[in-house]
Amino acid sequence: MNDETLTFYYYNDGLTREERQAVANRLATDPGTAARYQVICRQLDQLGAASITAAPSDMVERWHESINRAVRSESAMPRKPVLHTWSFIWGAAVTAALAIGIGIGVYISGGNVSEAVLPDVIVAANPNSSAFVRGLRVHLRESEQGLSETPFDATADRTLLLMRIIEQNRLFEKVAQRNDSPALARVLRSFELVLVRLAADDITPEEAEELQAKLLFELNVILTKLDRESSDESGII
Amino acid sequence: MKGAELPTQAQFHQAISSRSDRWYSACLRITRSPELAEDAVQEALLSAWAKRHQFNHTARLETWIHRIAINAALQMLRKNRPGLFEPLDIDVPDDGGGPEAAQHNRDIEDTFSAALDVLSEIERVCFVLKHLEQWRLKEISEEFDINVGAVKQAVFRAVRKLRVQLDGMQGEQS
Repeated sequence: MNDETLTFYYYNDGLTREERQAVANRLATDPGTAARYQVICRQLDQLGAASITAAPSDMVERWHESINRAVRSESAMPRKPVLHTWSFIWGAAVTAALAIGIGIGVYISGGNVSEAVLPDVIVAANPNSSAFVRGLRVHLRESEQGLSETPFDATADRTLLLMRIIEQNRLFEKVAQRNDSPALARVLRSFELVLVRLAADDITPEEAEELQAKLLFELNVILTKLDRESSDESGII
Repeated sequence: MKGAELPTQAQFHQAISSRSDRWYSACLRITRSPELAEDAVQEALLSAWAKRHQFNHTARLETWIHRIAINAALQMLRKNRPGLFEPLDIDVPDDGGGPEAAQHNRDIEDTFSAALDVLSEIERVCFVLKHLEQWRLKEISEEFDINVGAVKQAVFRAVRKLRVQLDGMQGEQS
């Protein structure tokens, strides 16, 4: 009986009922196999007692802050009504209209982003610093991923997602502007225009799809640039 | 946590304070990159928050986020290393993932993590999911769209190599 069989007997996985029974019989009758199995068990138990790598405290702070940001984003839009199954389609339409009409209208046209929501690490960062570049990369990557994964018919989810992206985008734009990186600020502003259009209530699915494809392409381009130039201290765009 | 109530902001903060080291460790073992591990946890938290109405109260919030974080880490690994989970027919040595990965690995001061360095990526990830995360072989095979036999092979190769490492470490200590 080989070690592989004994290993998966330990895991209680990957063996048929008959194979497991055969191992049990062998362990009961063959002291040599039983001793070998004991060694395997002891070593695998030791491997299971692996230590935990503590996350740096600034990282943990960022996670806390990300939840706070998500809560703030949510509170900026009207609460989605509870829907009954029979009224799902009408309800979704009403929710979408309310979310887009009230939520985006109030939120986006509000203009200024509160200083209070700027994460310290971003505020302190110079656009050429690795912290800023890294944060920007995460923002762009998450935007790209979120937009790709949220279906066009999930109207309320898309609205919430777009609001979050716009909020984040403004933070980075603001810091870029503040730190004399007008080129980067301009690029981010151009993203916002597209994002706002994507969130508009009069956009057709075809236009949304086309616009999103363009946006995803641009996000990819800038992400590629960031990846390539992240070690270049002369600039990121 | 009661009945069908949604997990609260405070509960998320509590989960981060009490369990984020475990989430981070698990993601770090999968990605071998502190940055990707951080991103995976961050993504898991935001995703869990956005989908908290889907939270099944039979599980703990921390456990639910842990699972989402693992999935996020796997997704990032796949995105960064396309072709990683194609089945291997032969036992090949790992190239260490290049200078960047080597630098990250030097940053990880964890004896167990160091022992994982002897594994190829597919071996490491399959081992971590099987042994540390207690996934079923079938779950792993479905996750990576490879057959159970290939997963089993990768897990066993990992175990075999780690046992040799363990013997070596114990030999040095005695």
